Amino acid sequence: MSFPAHITVLYFAAASTTLGITDELVPIPEKGLYLSQLTELLIERHSQSSLNTLRKILDSSQWSVDAEMVGDEDLTKVELKDGMEVAVICPVSGG
Amino acid sequence: MLPPGSSVEGVVELSGAVCSISYALDTVESTIKRVSDDRFGAIATFIGTTRNSFQGKAVTKLEYQGIKLFASRSPIIQSCITPAYTKLALKTMTQIIVDARNRTPDFRAVVQHRIGVVGVGEPSIVIAVSSPHRNEAFRTCEFILEEVKRKAQIWKREYYEGEDESEAEWKSNV
Repeated sequence: MSFPAHITVLYFAAASTTLGITDELVPIPEKGLYLSQLTELLIERHSQSSLNTLRKILDSSQWSVDAEMVGDEDLTKVELKDGMEVAVICPVSGG
Repeated sequence: MLPPGSSVEGVVELSGAVCSISYALDTVESTIKRVSDDRFGAIATFIGTTRNSFQGKAVTKLEYQGIKLFASRSPIIQSCITPAYTKLALKTMTQIIVDARNRTPDFRAVVQHRIGVVGVGEPSIVIAVSSPHRNEAFRTCEFILEEVKRKAQIWKREYYEGEDESEAEWKSNV
């Protein structure tokens, strides 16, 4: 018996406010998942949320995997694996 | 709402520089002492504080992915802590120091960013840079500030007078 693979998704700022959560365990489909496909999966998962808002936020965010930023041009190349920590990095406002 | 578990305090020490994220900032005096170096004749500091208005609206409180505090108008303090993505923000700040060294090798720096509630008039970021001469001190201090604003994984939410809290917007430096 194989256990389903999961990633941890971290939400900050507008993403966390919209969803009402700061993190969750998200199962990865057996056929695998690339980072570029994660937006659609999260939208499906949170279909009860304000979808337009969530989509706008995810589309305007960057992503990090295991605390390394992933360039927009590399989203289709990063395959998500069990145990990875993925964060939605909304436009930052430090300083 | 509970704060993200990844928003915690943290410090990274490099050779000649310290980057930290914390709920309280060190005093400016102690920060200056940390970058003081008998070989260097210049110390430049930057302190970023919370303004009381933005685009004409009065800011009542500011949440740095941290605690909500009603500043100045009301005595009510709520303690809902929502932090930065600290481990990545510190990595980013470390790389900024490395990038600054590629431009100007000789300096010492301290970069401290606060998380939690930052009331009006209070400092949210302190940067101190010492170097042989004033030119490098000013330029490196500015470089570090602009890069932190551009890249560090830290967020800020401003609450305005007369507006519903749930409508408070997360700011963006872009």
